[in-house]
Amino acid sequence: MNALARTFWFAVFTLNEYLRSGRIVVEAVATAVAYYLFFRRWTTPMTPEYFFSTVGLFALGLTVYTGSTILALGDRPYGYVILARRLGRGPYLLGLYLTILAVTWGMYGVICLLVALTNPIRGLGFADWVLGTIPLLLNLALLAAFLTLLTPIVLPAPWRLAVLALVALAFSGSLIGGATLSSLPESVAIALDVVRTVLSTPLLPAFTGFAISVSRDYSGASAVVPVAQLFLVIGLLAFAVYSFAKRELVFSA
Amino acid sequence: MDIIELDKVYKSYDGIPVLRGVTLRVPQGIVYGVLGPHGAGKTTLISIMIGFLRPDRGVVRIFGSDNLQQADGHVGYVPERLRYHARYTVREYLWYLGRFSGLSGAVLRQRVNAEIGAFDLTGVADQPMSALSRGMLQRVGLAQALLSEPDLLLIDEPTAGLDPEGQRDIIEMLAAVRQRGPTILMTTHFLDEADLLCDRIGILHGGRIVAEAETHTLHKPASSILITVADLPPATESALTALSPAVQCNRREITLAPNTPELQAQVLRLLLDHGITIFTLAPRRHPIEEFYLETVRGDAKRDGSSDAPPPGLSGTGDTLLRELLRQEEQRTLEGRERNHL
Repeated sequence: MNALARTFWFAVFTLNEYLRSGRIVVEAVATAVAYYLFFRRWTTPMTPEYFFSTVGLFALGLTVYTGSTILALGDRPYGYVILARRLGRGPYLLGLYLTILAVTWGMYGVICLLVALTNPIRGLGFADWVLGTIPLLLNLALLAAFLTLLTPIVLPAPWRLAVLALVALAFSGSLIGGATLSSLPESVAIALDVVRTVLSTPLLPAFTGFAISVSRDYSGASAVVPVAQLFLVIGLLAFAVYSFAKRELVFSA
Repeated sequence: MDIIELDKVYKSYDGIPVLRGVTLRVPQGIVYGVLGPHGAGKTTLISIMIGFLRPDRGVVRIFGSDNLQQADGHVGYVPERLRYHARYTVREYLWYLGRFSGLSGAVLRQRVNAEIGAFDLTGVADQPMSALSRGMLQRVGLAQALLSEPDLLLIDEPTAGLDPEGQRDIIEMLAAVRQRGPTILMTTHFLDEADLLCDRIGILHGGRIVAEAETHTLHKPASSILITVADLPPATESALTALSPAVQCNRREITLAPNTPELQAQVLRLLLDHGITIFTLAPRRHPIEEFYLETVRGDAKRDGSSDAPPPGLSGTGDTLLRELLRQEEQRTLEGRERNHL
């Protein structure tokens, strides 16, 4: 049995346990509430832009919750018996990752189905829906990969803090800017700007992916954004698998 | 051929050394027992062999290779902690684990059913594992480890936390497992268990394997014997103590130390002549217990360490290590009390 098949079966195993444990109820209720609040038929018809921006934000929030829960399932001593087999660490981690995607993409699918049945969006054909959905789903995959990288079984605490610090620095533009930036010595301000630019580059696909999902405008260089998203997902997962394979295996008690 | 080869393996946690140069060879087809009290580093040793932990220094070879991932699928592992995915039934759980081991189709079904039968799990095979007792879970642990018919079985404290009946069941099952022929390395702090199951034992003390022995070589005539009897009349007691200074009586117990076959025969003859009922006759110390004590004391003397067992300690077989720990705890408590006062 190759690694892909083993990954698939471990994802099925984890998803099955997730469903049986009843944890899925949280996602189901959250999805039902989101549908009721944002997507059911109101007096004003829903636009495609409203739909994709709202569902995109909701799905990101859901991914944070689901990702944390499923990755915690993988960080239990139960895993020793599984990892003592031929499964391998890569398929173990990727199996957890696929389970996150199965739940979050599944909930997105449920919302889309409910909207299509009860409150169809005027002017949004199937092809248009696909064009908006691809970058949205890739953004969820990107966030799930980032969460996988940050799980305690993959990166030790100092590394996790370092990664989070880099992300914070990349986002610091909205906090350190204008008057604050001008009050800094010129050399420091330039250095900070360079660092921020370098660090925020990997985040570009995520932000532009969200924008494309809402606009569904693939003209010009935008067409490469989903490819960039995909490569970023692969890069993050490869780093996570590499780090997990190199670490000593000590699950949380 | 040596299935397991460890050369000067060191491991520490946060600067605290646990293993301090473990060297170990386990030939194919034997059952090797690593003996040592709680905290001796037995679980760490197994975790290193299976690749969960990495040694700070030293070489670990399984099946002749230091790439432990190559051994995946040829090694079965039974953890000490009985934590399994409780939402699955036994059959489902074994089925998935078989899948992860590369089994599929009819072969997988056949292997699952075979192990369910071998470990007497048929009655609970379709029950969720959350409903199983600790003893049953340990059987599941053995069944999952043998699912892919491994060449090497690593078992960590197989009977820890089980009641006496559960311990006996697991020991009987392990005895059946050894008939299947895999090389087995098990850790334990129960001396009787090691005696019953192991071909060779190694004492893990002070972070090293300080001594090894073939268990059959330890079964020499006991150096001291304890005979338990019905109440001894004073006349019989006097007659017994008159036989030799090596005979000591205590109403219902007679100790022969040192023991000789001649003295033993004399004592038994006298007891029978006086019509005394004999309940038991056993070595005052388990042969492995004697070996353990000699080893640990000798090692402590060499090291000048203070963790040698207290003098005059005696026990019956598997109680020795627990007794050692109890006395250690007692000393700690006394020390704390003194400090408090």
